[in-house]
Amino acid sequence: MKKVVIKTKGLHKTYETTAVPVHALQGVDLEIGEGEFTAIVGPSGSGKSTLLNIVGGLDHPSEGNVWVDDVELSKLNNNELIDFRKNKIGFVFQSFNLIPVLTAFENVEFVMLLQKRNKEERRKRAMDLLRAVGLEDKANTRPGQLSGGQQQRVAVARALAPKPAFVLADEPTANLDSHSTGTLLDIMARLNEEERMTFVFSTHDQRVIDRARRVITLDDGMIISDEKRDK
Amino acid sequence: MILPVIAWRNIWRNPTRSAVLIGAITVGIWSLIFITGFMQGITVSYIRQAIETRTSHIQVHDPEFKDDMEIKYMIEDQGRWERLLSSDDQVKAYSLRTKISGMLSTSRGSYGVVLEGVDPGPEALTTKLSEQVVEGIYMDTSQYNPIMVSSELAKKLKAKIQSKVVFQFQQLDGEISAAAFRVSGIYDSGNAKADQGKAYAYREDINKLAGLPQDATHEIAILLQDISMIDTIRDQWQAQFPDLLVESYAQISPDLKLFESQIQISMLTMTIIFMLALIFGIINTMLMAVLERVKELGMLMAIGMNRWRVFVMIMLETITLALVAAPLGLLLGWRTIEWLGRTGVDLSIYAEGMKQFGMAAMVYPEIDAVYYVQILSAVCTTAVIGAIYPAWKAIHLKPVEALRKL
Repeated sequence: MKKVVIKTKGLHKTYETTAVPVHALQGVDLEIGEGEFTAIVGPSGSGKSTLLNIVGGLDHPSEGNVWVDDVELSKLNNNELIDFRKNKIGFVFQSFNLIPVLTAFENVEFVMLLQKRNKEERRKRAMDLLRAVGLEDKANTRPGQLSGGQQQRVAVARALAPKPAFVLADEPTANLDSHSTGTLLDIMARLNEEERMTFVFSTHDQRVIDRARRVITLDDGMIISDEKRDK
Repeated sequence: MILPVIAWRNIWRNPTRSAVLIGAITVGIWSLIFITGFMQGITVSYIRQAIETRTSHIQVHDPEFKDDMEIKYMIEDQGRWERLLSSDDQVKAYSLRTKISGMLSTSRGSYGVVLEGVDPGPEALTTKLSEQVVEGIYMDTSQYNPIMVSSELAKKLKAKIQSKVVFQFQQLDGEISAAAFRVSGIYDSGNAKADQGKAYAYREDINKLAGLPQDATHEIAILLQDISMIDTIRDQWQAQFPDLLVESYAQISPDLKLFESQIQISMLTMTIIFMLALIFGIINTMLMAVLERVKELGMLMAIGMNRWRVFVMIMLETITLALVAAPLGLLLGWRTIEWLGRTGVDLSIYAEGMKQFGMAAMVYPEIDAVYYVQILSAVCTTAVIGAIYPAWKAIHLKPVEALRKL
């Protein structure tokens, strides 16, 4: 039986900031196992990003619980949550969000520095990951000199650097052309297969949906379908 | 050690903005050093001038003489003093003086003065009187009863070299007496106020005219080798001669200390104003730097950078900026002071006004080395204070909201 990496139960999120409360999530129950390649899809405002933020420990649910690697996130204080994110979760953002003043190599190495890993291990893993995403020749290049696709590949390498339990990618291909999207998906699929890394995407992009082995569809903050595919 | 690297590179992300702040700090420090050096130069020159022309380092009097200035209050056992002073290595020079108040008159006018009886040789070593002669000869021995008056006094009395002046005074026995003197020299000490009420003659002549003993002395002015020893030596002598009044220049002329402390207060005020302006400059710049990078800071916190590290990163950026600017400002300031300290700042266009306050028209700026260290620490402290608010703003960002910022 596959190990469950992410589990949510009765997840609700209501934003009270507007005159009318917005119910972004309404009772989401979900389990994602190790090594899955899952896309969370749905129209804008369906609650995809909110779900990812809560699962990623960036936001708190109004109701319900989240477990990651059997750790209940609501039981962690702020500092523990930061440490948890650092060690257990890899993030890939829509607009790459690399540190512009660091080179590709330094960006990948950065999280491992925060983890206080030793220098040799950091350097070897950063270089291995850049090689894995096909950017070893760009190791000393800063993000500003890289194309969008290349930046997102660096972001994937950075997300994998801390050896997380899973990678959360929020619309990772939204700012990429089709060629870059294809390359990025190939890389992530390979890493998923070779390293058994769990990937969870939120996406609108049909190309991503087509490559996913599980597609969860959200609408109005509720799961309306959960399709598992054999590939 | 990635944070200092990030901090250093971050400050060059917007080179113009950083350069403006660095420039502002540099110019601020430079101007602060220049003004401080200039003011300190004025203070030192004022005190030096006072020591050289008025007070010397230490003076000895009979305590009653200080209050009444009556000629009967002479220093007893001045021979013991002479033996002490001539054998003490700490003493550079000393001068014994007789001082009599009276009225100096010519056919054209009269003026109240203190006539100081001095021995020309020791007086020349103790004060700059011999170098301040602008007309005639310093204590001309070829004349009978020679007198030296200041140019201010000469102007008031309409006296010239060789003019006859009459000094009216009270003798030791209380009788009013008058004596004729011949102006042999006119001097200008650079302190118009002090000059106008003073004249110099031979101690021996004055003692004889006033009916005082030949070696009578009202005042001993002493110049030391080392100015820093003044208080120690004064205390030592005062203990040795409890019946006399032994005073340092600061006690004799409290205005010197007052002047010095007023200058220090002005300098402190200017430094505080500069530091306050700097704090607001830093807050403005760093706040802009933080607000521009909200998304990036959110990302850093999302991937596991804790708040303390974010705080340190912002602080390091600010301190780095200050540490780039401060040495530049210090170097510029030091070079300016070093150069002007040699050439001097010529304020001769204000010479007349400055003379009224006993100040020289040439000011040689100078600064204690410790001031450079103080200003460096002050700038770094200011940078730290200025960075607190932007850093506080940064650590209170919520990653989830920060990441949504465009």
